[in-house]
Amino acid sequence: MNISMKWLKELIPCSISPEELGALFTVHSQEVARVEALVRAKGLTIGHVLTCRPHPQADSLRVCEVDVGDTVLGIVCGAPNVAAEQRVIVARPGAVLPGGITIEHTVIRGEASAGMICSLSELGIDYKYHHEDGIHVVRESVAPGSDALEALHFDDTVIGLDLTPNRADLLSMHGVAYDVAAMLDLPLTLPHVALETAGEPAVHIRTQTPRCLSYYGRVLKSIVIKPSPQFMQARLIAAGVRPINNVVDITNYVMLETGQPLHAFDYDALDSDTIVVREAEAGETFVTLDDKERTLHAGDILITNGREAVALGGVMGGAATEVTSHTTRLLLEAAVFDAMTVGKTSRRLDLRSESSLRFERKVDPEKTRYALDRATALFIEYANAEIVGDKGYFDDTSNIEPPIVISLEKINAVLGGRYSDEHVDAILKRLHLPFTRASNTYTIDRVSRRQDLLTYQDIIEEIGRISGYDQLPNTLPSTVAQGALSLRQQLRRRIRAALTGLGLDEVVTYSLQSVDRIGRFSTLHEAPVKVADPMTDLHAALIHTPLTGLYDVATHNAARRQHDVNIFELGTCYTAEQETERLAILMSGHHHYYRWQKTPTTDFYTLKGVFEALLDTLGLPAARYEPLRHEDFHPYQTARILLEGTPIGIIGKVHPKTTADDHLGDVFVLDVDVSILLEKSPDHAPYQPLQKYPSIERDLALVCDRTLPAETVLEAIKTQGGAALVHLDVFDVYTGEHLDENQKSLGLRLLFEDPEKTLESKTVDALVDKIVAHLKVTYGMFRR
Amino acid sequence: MDLKQTLTHLESKLKEALKQTDKLETLQDIKAEYLGKKAELTLLMRHMKDVDAAERPVFGQTINAAKTRFTELIELRREALEAKRLEDRLNAEHIDVTLPGPDFRLGRPHVLNRIVMEIEDLFIGMGYIIKEGPEIESDAYNFEKLNLPKDHPARDMQDSFFITEERLLRTHTSPVQVRTMLEQGGRKPVKIICPGKVYRRDDDDATHSHQFMQIEGLVVDTNTTMADLKGTLLTVARAMFGEHRNIRLRPSYFPFTEPSVEVDVTCFKCNGNGCPMCKHTGYIEILGAGMVNDFVLSASGYDPSIYQGFAFGMGVERIAMLKYGIDDIRHFYTNDIRFLKQFST
Repeated sequence: MNISMKWLKELIPCSISPEELGALFTVHSQEVARVEALVRAKGLTIGHVLTCRPHPQADSLRVCEVDVGDTVLGIVCGAPNVAAEQRVIVARPGAVLPGGITIEHTVIRGEASAGMICSLSELGIDYKYHHEDGIHVVRESVAPGSDALEALHFDDTVIGLDLTPNRADLLSMHGVAYDVAAMLDLPLTLPHVALETAGEPAVHIRTQTPRCLSYYGRVLKSIVIKPSPQFMQARLIAAGVRPINNVVDITNYVMLETGQPLHAFDYDALDSDTIVVREAEAGETFVTLDDKERTLHAGDILITNGREAVALGGVMGGAATEVTSHTTRLLLEAAVFDAMTVGKTSRRLDLRSESSLRFERKVDPEKTRYALDRATALFIEYANAEIVGDKGYFDDTSNIEPPIVISLEKINAVLGGRYSDEHVDAILKRLHLPFTRASNTYTIDRVSRRQDLLTYQDIIEEIGRISGYDQLPNTLPSTVAQGALSLRQQLRRRIRAALTGLGLDEVVTYSLQSVDRIGRFSTLHEAPVKVADPMTDLHAALIHTPLTGLYDVATHNAARRQHDVNIFELGTCYTAEQETERLAILMSGHHHYYRWQKTPTTDFYTLKGVFEALLDTLGLPAARYEPLRHEDFHPYQTARILLEGTPIGIIGKVHPKTTADDHLGDVFVLDVDVSILLEKSPDHAPYQPLQKYPSIERDLALVCDRTLPAETVLEAIKTQGGAALVHLDVFDVYTGEHLDENQKSLGLRLLFEDPEKTLESKTVDALVDKIVAHLKVTYGMFRR
Repeated sequence: MDLKQTLTHLESKLKEALKQTDKLETLQDIKAEYLGKKAELTLLMRHMKDVDAAERPVFGQTINAAKTRFTELIELRREALEAKRLEDRLNAEHIDVTLPGPDFRLGRPHVLNRIVMEIEDLFIGMGYIIKEGPEIESDAYNFEKLNLPKDHPARDMQDSFFITEERLLRTHTSPVQVRTMLEQGGRKPVKIICPGKVYRRDDDDATHSHQFMQIEGLVVDTNTTMADLKGTLLTVARAMFGEHRNIRLRPSYFPFTEPSVEVDVTCFKCNGNGCPMCKHTGYIEILGAGMVNDFVLSASGYDPSIYQGFAFGMGVERIAMLKYGIDDIRHFYTNDIRFLKQFST
């Protein structure tokens, strides 16, 4: 809503500056988007063109003598519509136009020019408001030398409000005036309308739908179509509405004034003295003002002349009954239509207008009759109208709503303030809310102009905002509770701390991805959850693993020559049944970069080492890895991860064909279920007493078949070694010289301890011999 | 030659030998030669029994003195050689201390999660519990129980991704508030914040994202006031944007709160004096809040004649963008390494 300061001051006499008022609006009412002069120009004068002759040197220019009151100026003008006897807007030397352009004495093609004759566009008034191509010719007979902005009613400032949808009352100047009156504690004076009507209703109103709550119609004759008065045009422009002609402008003006949309039919084209309001049938068509045929849905509100439709109620009039330059008789409509219906119809047909907006947010039913009379008075004054008979109407609006009851204690209990009854009395009076108070209990009548005030909480808001929230103290809730993170939240933080400690950056990626990529890198064989109406195919379904997004991060960075990507995300796997939390890791390039020293390139084992470090720091047991085939992964560098026998996810190298296609190096990824990590996470690891007796270390180099998994060997050694074998590690894997092609040698380090006594060398030797003998029998392994 | 001469001769021979050697290994041989079992000195000692009994003590003392002296000479040389060896080793270990070490950079939590954690910790300190909930929500929890019936125009304000008629991606974390209140059974006080991902139908551009992160807070008790809300938000604003900040509450509208307010913080760039960042208003909008609408309390099992509460909600991206001066919301989701690396832990 754009507020014209001049208009407002007519309703509520006040001397406050627009900037100050804007600041008050922000704090007490609605957010102010802008406070701006309607025309940002200085020094404009009304001039009278005395003579106008062609420029001797240029066909497209005219040389004018212009009377500007105190003197006559010679001005060169390029507008083809300039002519003698016109009253025009003159920017004299020294005048400043929008954009900071200062007008000076110049010489144009040999002719002196002392100023400029202006078009409305040059004043900064958008073309859409006037559609004038040349200079503006002033219609009013104003004395030369007068201030032009004043004469044209452009000496105005506009406050633009960003309205919240509940404040329908602020869609009218009257409503704005009420709020300003409350903010400034000033009386307001709304225009009084007294019409003299007589006789039988000239039009009969019938309604066949409860979606029309009231309908007032008045017939007017001897209408003269012409431009509306300048003050009205200026106010419409200030409000952001384009002036058209007196009939359309008056309906818009009264709508802006009262919030009640009006519609004018050409009464001759209507060709009926009866209006019937009904609901449209599904598939029915109607040609709107813009000459487009609209297909209607059942329930859309139709205004008919008893035979055919003439308007789409609350949304748009019909082409057949449009007011034209030949119109002499009008049917003026002021009605209340169901808010929800108008909202739906206008949205569906994409026909949102100032009218539909007001209906959608609910108009004040008590303003309908007033608006009809106010517009009638303006038609008499500015369109030569004469009233025909009396108005016809139907009115089913009722304002018998129960009053709102609230105590002073409750107001203070909710706001946390210490307001007195005198203060609350004063605020309610400033808001013009009728109330009675018995002791400390208020009974407040509902008012139709504030349809947003329904409950005691709404009243509290009114008291709070008009008093100013800055009046409230700053306190903290007295509710005492123990603040804490849940175990899951703690685990998440520990994972984040561990992985960032290991040099991985955390990322956050989109949950919605393209449908065809959802199953990628996932072992879940389920249809993706799709969004019913995606905005783009790129974000159409919910992910099964954050790896989908992590892979994009790798691609994005590689395209920017950033090949060392070590990232993780704590994300979600979404299925129709549930959302499970996933940890995904992606590593590519180098992990820790050694610069001038030799840097190992990330491989499967780098990622595995990171994951093992994570499990260790979380106090979880070591995981097991089973070779796994998956079409998105390298066939021989991929494994299923198991934790105490439970599969928790996948680790592997992204298929080299895929990474090559995407111009990536080797990419290693991991995706595990965080919930299982949480489940298996011990409350605290039990303390292990420190070993008192010396341990004995033995290294073994054992040759075996190349395909024999190390895990098999390690498990066998553990079984054979028993309790005394406390640690076992692979420190070397060798293939090559001195070995057959299908052989490998494992370098193993075994650590033996006895918690009770110092181990003897021969005991350990015996154990090692036993282990070696077992490996030889079982796997044909031998010492190298 | 008498004993003294012999010993002097031996000593000068030893000195010469020590002088000649520059290896610790040969020093051991020298020690054997002059002090070992077959050394001249040892042999002389064996002659003691041939010496007169009266001269024997002097004879013994002389030889022992020589032995001590020889040992000292060898040890002195050993120390010298050891010092030399150490010095050689150190010389060989000369490095260029100006060369850089390996890049053992720690990773960084994502800036959005970093802000979430910061706010979580602030609220944990004030006795709040961190609650979470599903991102695929029912229409009932996301809208209806929050006073947004099916035809409510305010649903437009957060146009949503529906999956079926009744299920959608949550448009705010408010359903977690509903779930928590229902869990509490309408009797116990509630004091929570709910961080999480939310989704709205916005075209992705520099200031809009179809996915973003929100943190909402809710306190419900018999005596929770708007002044409590104000004090709480002032604490948040100061923790996030500096201790000299102030806040301003402006009337606004949300279906789930009444009164509803937008909350501005005094501009941390110009201290409220007006600058391009705050569009010369001195204030920057950071969140929306209000007193819980009675409808919402009732729908979640709380008797509004006994209980009242406040709620607030803020966009994490917005806070991060303001705090760090980030110019494009898409950076949070593109995860350019150069972006990720900028935010220290």
